[in-house]
Amino acid sequence: MQELQAEHKKRITPKRPRDYLCWAAAIAVVAALVYTTVTNENYGWPVVFSYFTTDAIIEGLLLTLVLTVVSMALGIVLGLLLAVMRMSHQAPISGLATLYITFFRGTPVLVQLIFWFNIAALYPNVSIGVPFTDISTPVDVNALMTPLTAAIVGLTLNEAAYMAEIIRGGFASVNRGQYEAADSLGMTGFTRLRHVIIPQTMPAIIPATGNQVIGMLKGTSLVSVLGVAELLNSAQSIYARTYQTIPLLIVASLWYLIMTLALSVPQSMIERRFSRSTRRPAAVATATKESLL
Amino acid sequence: MKADGTIVARKLCKSFGSHQVLRGIDLTVAAGEISCIIGPSGSGKSTLLRCVNGLETVDRGVLRVNGEDFGYVEKDDAYHAVSPQRLAEQRSRVGMVFQQFNLFPNMTAESNVMSGPVLVKKVDRKVARERAQELLAQVGLAGCGHKYPAQLSGGQQQRVAIARALAMDPSIMLFDEPTSALDPELVGEVLAVMRDLAHHGMTMLLVTHEMAFARDVADEVLFMDEGVAVERGDAREVLANPREKRTQEFLERVL
Ligand SMILES: Nc1ncnc2c1ncn2[C@@H]1O[C@H](COP(=O)(O)OP(=O)(O)OP(=O)(O)O)[C@@H](O)[C@H]1O
Ligand SMILES: [Mg+2]
Repeated sequence: MQELQAEHKKRITPKRPRDYLCWAAAIAVVAALVYTTVTNENYGWPVVFSYFTTDAIIEGLLLTLVLTVVSMALGIVLGLLLAVMRMSHQAPISGLATLYITFFRGTPVLVQLIFWFNIAALYPNVSIGVPFTDISTPVDVNALMTPLTAAIVGLTLNEAAYMAEIIRGGFASVNRGQYEAADSLGMTGFTRLRHVIIPQTMPAIIPATGNQVIGMLKGTSLVSVLGVAELLNSAQSIYARTYQTIPLLIVASLWYLIMTLALSVPQSMIERRFSRSTRRPAAVATATKESLL
Repeated sequence: MKADGTIVARKLCKSFGSHQVLRGIDLTVAAGEISCIIGPSGSGKSTLLRCVNGLETVDRGVLRVNGEDFGYVEKDDAYHAVSPQRLAEQRSRVGMVFQQFNLFPNMTAESNVMSGPVLVKKVDRKVARERAQELLAQVGLAGCGHKYPAQLSGGQQQRVAIARALAMDPSIMLFDEPTSALDPELVGEVLAVMRDLAHHGMTMLLVTHEMAFARDVADEVLFMDEGVAVERGDAREVLANPREKRTQEFLERVL
């Protein structure tokens, strides 16, 4: 039985010219890039290295991280509130939330930041007080709205709009049957939310929030226009003095790259864990890290 | 606390908007009795079942479950909705099994079964776990407790769902087409569990298209069409010799 021996023979798909061509093109592009980065002295690599860890840059880096964490945290809290409002059965309440989300997602965050910085032009003096009493304190909005405050307010309010939609999407991904099953066991609203619904919203919410964090990290560079000394602004202050624009932009870019890469490792782990296509059961269970019982 | 395992409905009405889904249904299920609801799609079978554990609110009529008004209390000349806590308590005495199982995907089979006792009745976890293992064994799933719903077949999931409902020690069990979402070869294992329950004297109200099961196990059959209870009587009698023309037509189509 000669022909049965053939089952051990390899199957070969011949490489086509186009396969080699793709490789050749990619290698050529990379080689050209490497060549120019090394030989073009205007990159100023020695300058890059000398400024890479200077105090001003490191301080800017830390402020970038603080801005990211603070705006993200506040944005999540406010986003949760907005999501709850948006899901309300009271039309005026959900209408207000919709209005907010539409407005903040529909205008550029850069414009919003400049707007908040200049809010004193709109409301120079505001009194905070208890209604129907004499207790009230006038607030000087101009003094209050420092660049840093404006940065945090602007980033937070904008982030809240996006987080609200993410959180709402998480709740929308939970089947109505889950509510009914919890009800039929006699669970009260809070127990149902805490042990049945919220854990199931996490596979949708957590990976999307991770993406937002990475976006926020890069987005903080916008507040440099307000004069907040975060990473980009610190780099700008240095090259305003030294005229070494490109090297300092490289310094800033490398730091942004390092931070986003550092964040993208846990992010891709989270995404694999919660990937909606595979929906591994353990992912849902560990979403809140306490599988109840 | 009375939990006598009876269901009594009189002139039950329910509308969704202008669509009248239940038009004056009468229903009586005595303790330990097995009652089957049959009827064409859209006739209101699920809605009736869902009213009995408060997943839908009733518009008009009397609904007494376990010997007391369900979801409302009669005061003066009106019914007043009870507090959410009271409603939850009334529901916890009525077990419900859904067509789509509705197991909690974030919990293992065992945690699903324990969820009612632990989260609602505040039973000690150890006690609840032992009871859950007993119940899983009862539905033929001993040793599957650590598995998540996604790792179980449809038939196994539905049996876990039955165990989960039983864990609350309900006096009544409701089943809404419990085998309709199952592959044919898995239907038998779920029906076997239900048959076992019936023999242990559980009051059961179920919507089903399994006529053979209804004939074997049910005491009473209720045929519904367009929100009306068209025919009601002894299960074997109705299925073998339906009196009403609409029942005859329906049975001819499904048998
Ligand atoms: N929440 C709801 N809102 C509006 N209409 C509804 C709602 N639930 C059910 N209905 C309508 O009520 C009618 C009866 O529905 P029901 O689910 O009780 O029928 P059924 O007899 O169980 O049908 P099936 O055999 O297909 O399950 C249908 O016309 C359905 O469209
Ligand atoms: Mg139905």
